[in-house]
Amino acid sequence: MKLGLLELRRRPGQFGVAGGALAFLTLLLIFLGGLLDGLIGGSTGLLRAQSAELIVYSDDARASLVRSRLDPATIAAIGDVEGVSAVGGLGVAQVGARVLDADGQPRTDEVESVAVVGYELSATEVPDPPPVGEAYVDSSLGASVGDVVAIGPEQLEVEVVGAVDDTSYLLQPGVWVSPETYEQVLAAARPDLAMAPGVFQAALVRTADGVDPDVVAARVDDATGSTSTLTIDDAIAALPGVEDQEGTFGIVIGATFVVVGVVAALFFALITIERTGLYGVLKALGSSNLGVVASLVTQAVVVALVAFALGLGAILAASGVLAGAVPFDLSLERAVSTGVGLVIMSVVGSLLSARRVWRVDPASVIG
Amino acid sequence: MDALTLNDVRKVYRTGDEEAVALDHATLSVASDEIVTLLGPSGSGKTTLLSISGGLLTPTEGTVRVGGDDIGDYGSRQLTEFRRDKVGFVFQSVNLVPFLTARENIAVVAGFGGRRSDADERVDRLLDELGLADRGSNLPDELSGGERQRVAIGRALMNEPSLVLIDEPTSALDTQMGEKVMELIVDEMRARNTAAVIVTHDRRMTRYADRTVEITDGRLEA
Amino acid sequence: MRLSLREIRRAKLRFGLLGGAVGLLVFLILFQQVLLGSLLESFTGALERQSADVVVYSEDARRSVAGSILSPEVVEAVGAVPGVAAAAPLGERTTTLSANGELVDGSVFGFVPGGPGEPTALVEGRLPASPGEAAASREDAADGFGLGATVTVEPGGAEVTVVGLTDRSRFSVSPTLWLTWEGYVEVVEAAEPDAPMVFPSLVAVATEAGEEPAAVAVDISAAVEGTDALTRSDAVAETPGVAEVRTSFLLILSLAYVVVGLVLAFFFLILTVQKSAALSLLRAVGIPMRELVTGLYLQVALVVGIGAVIGTGLVLLAAQGVGDALPLSIEPLEVAATLGLVVAVAGVGSLLALRRLLQVDPTDAVARPSLGGLA
Ligand SMILES: Nc1ncnc2c1ncn2[C@@H]1O[C@H](COP(=O)(O)OP(=O)(O)OP(=O)(O)O)[C@@H](O)[C@H]1O
Ligand SMILES: [Mg+2]
Repeated sequence: MKLGLLELRRRPGQFGVAGGALAFLTLLLIFLGGLLDGLIGGSTGLLRAQSAELIVYSDDARASLVRSRLDPATIAAIGDVEGVSAVGGLGVAQVGARVLDADGQPRTDEVESVAVVGYELSATEVPDPPPVGEAYVDSSLGASVGDVVAIGPEQLEVEVVGAVDDTSYLLQPGVWVSPETYEQVLAAARPDLAMAPGVFQAALVRTADGVDPDVVAARVDDATGSTSTLTIDDAIAALPGVEDQEGTFGIVIGATFVVVGVVAALFFALITIERTGLYGVLKALGSSNLGVVASLVTQAVVVALVAFALGLGAILAASGVLAGAVPFDLSLERAVSTGVGLVIMSVVGSLLSARRVWRVDPASVIG
Repeated sequence: MDALTLNDVRKVYRTGDEEAVALDHATLSVASDEIVTLLGPSGSGKTTLLSISGGLLTPTEGTVRVGGDDIGDYGSRQLTEFRRDKVGFVFQSVNLVPFLTARENIAVVAGFGGRRSDADERVDRLLDELGLADRGSNLPDELSGGERQRVAIGRALMNEPSLVLIDEPTSALDTQMGEKVMELIVDEMRARNTAAVIVTHDRRMTRYADRTVEITDGRLEA
Repeated sequence: MRLSLREIRRAKLRFGLLGGAVGLLVFLILFQQVLLGSLLESFTGALERQSADVVVYSEDARRSVAGSILSPEVVEAVGAVPGVAAAAPLGERTTTLSANGELVDGSVFGFVPGGPGEPTALVEGRLPASPGEAAASREDAADGFGLGATVTVEPGGAEVTVVGLTDRSRFSVSPTLWLTWEGYVEVVEAAEPDAPMVFPSLVAVATEAGEEPAAVAVDISAAVEGTDALTRSDAVAETPGVAEVRTSFLLILSLAYVVVGLVLAFFFLILTVQKSAALSLLRAVGIPMRELVTGLYLQVALVVGIGAVIGTGLVLLAAQGVGDALPLSIEPLEVAATLGLVVAVAGVGSLLALRRLLQVDPTDAVARPSLGGLA
């Protein structure tokens, strides 16, 4: 083991190219993972922020907010179902928004896309609905408390009274407003889709303590006869794109990890061939097989770790630029899991050469 | 007690259908402070005898005792330990680890077992005695042939073996250098009262030893 | 030549691993290339393959078709802008379609036949001429959108019959139906009985011959308040999400190319270094350098060739696996271009090995007497 480390220190150049390739693969892996997390996170924030257990859509909506519509009678009926402790309407309008400066002029020419969320039940991340004229705004919009945001075609002005995090819907920052404001914005943006007061796209349900949410979901659908109730997790999975993206990125990330393994295998196959003589000497001098293999594996771990650090460093350095251009979101979990995966694949790759090292006959060096 | 006893050792190499008898009824004792040269032409079985004595090869027949213990009973783990602690090797080709310095090449065998508390001192002393005191931090690349040979001898002596096995130490060197190396080895062994078997095909080198055993076609004759 | 082939045969594991690594990387590159192409085609194909030179959004729509809504007056006002030959409403609704007994998310477009905004990539049948007829995307033909199929626009229950198939004219990565404007109005009215009227989403504009569409677009945005006019290609490029997708894939692809180059480079470099003693011997016995270089490139070519085969095979496999959500169209020409780029990268990557190879000196074989050891 010590020998492996010594060699790394004395001959870093020998490991440079493999380390470089692995560093680029790390870059690729973290970028892919961060992109996936950014895409999924930005799509699902609205639902993940909820403290409710269930979400109720109309039964023909197929778990889509846009397609769903619940009238006040239905929402009231949901509130009466046994096991429901609270119910509140939820509606989202995807519109343009401008952050205004002190003079009431738009800060930039760009119109930002936002998800205006009309809601009744507080979420984990968001307090109870603000009064008309005010909003809680997702920090990704870049507006701070006290700013005024003009939303929708009518440029309805709301004052930011609180910043919330990670509440985006379909990659658009959440602007959380009272139901009245939401209705007004929707009517202006899509007169064809305007909703009467009290009508919502969906309803959120908090279940009573100790009751199985699935049971309550079934009861709700029975009681209304016109709804389809999902757990929040199921609703997240049903969001457009979420499963497809996870699947597609899964293939790409998986294949990239395999590439890591193959590259490591290739590299160690190359260097162990060169060193069969050396391994023979070490064994003849009394090093155990395990010791020689451990030294190889140590090298694999170190090369992977260094490559990981380089890749991670590069992506951190670039993350400022990246975040502006693509929905990239690097979490600690993603970084750690990539690092662990990299080390594992690299070790697996190096072990492919363990057999060859193991088989080196110490008697072969003499004579 | 004898450092090495070979009793009726036979070694047959099988390659395909062919059988090559490399050693035949070899019987040999080396006393605990004796230096023996093994002299024979190429292909006569010298390296084979040495490998068997050092636990690198197992004999087809016969027994091998080193320091009184029959190494034929050893499993592979015990053989590994045996090679590390009981014998020292100097190979026909010097075989230093290329990325380790002279000092590290000597110390490397100590590292295989648990750490020896006196390892550093010992390495210093060996370097000093071998005339390598100021070459300790050089890589093998930066050493002369003779210096490399001396490093290899230092490595063989590091774990204070009771038996040192040396294969053709002078074959790569000119006569003058060869004699110097031979002298060095013999002095080192004598100073430590360590038994040694030195393989050579050069009759001139035999005068340094206590005794010479000749080998032809796998048969020993004193 | 023979020597280099023999070397591959002797070192099957190493060359196998290399071929595998290159194959996987080629797969990654191809897969993502195909994904990108298909995604973008499927995302904005409808916008790209319609006849309007300029499309006009509501200013607030942020260049999103789904977010754009305009009044009929705007259509008229746009028609009056100098340089505009014709202006027609273009409608789009994201809706639920029932085809083959299955419910799917889909888009419905309404265009004025003969006017700007007509689909241009008809490949089978004809364009719809009356309400109740529709053109569908060829990519969805097998899923209940084939010629003669009846598709129900679920909310409202209006039925349309597919009379024509268009090529790569989908929208928002879902099945897309093209209806006449009247047909579109009927369908939407059935779906949204409470809505006051059916508004156009966009204005499709044909510019007069000789006019620069980009200039006309600027004029329209300036002349008609609340509008944002873009040329067709700008509209495609500016569709929300398109730029991000492009940038992301571009980054991923360039990284993958770099890795291909590096892996090939390090492999052949190490290999060349390892056999430099043998190489100088070969040079010493009179084998010309040309022969050795040819051997090197023969090996590179073989490895890349095997990698290309593996990668292409894997992509064909993966395309079948993913095909459900997003029909992957694998264009032979694109694949060939990608493979060409891989070959080029491999060529560059092997330059390091080539340099090392050219340094091999026949005198090395005799100059350094073997002192034994590994050093
Ligand atoms: N692994 C092996 N398989 C088959 N035959 C072997 C093997 N090793 C050695 N031999 C044969 O055994 C005989 C003795 O070999 P050995 O290596 O002991 O000779 P040596 O005396 O050391 O020769 P040299 O002076 O050339 O080193 C030779 O005929 C050799 O060909
Ligand atoms: Mg020999």
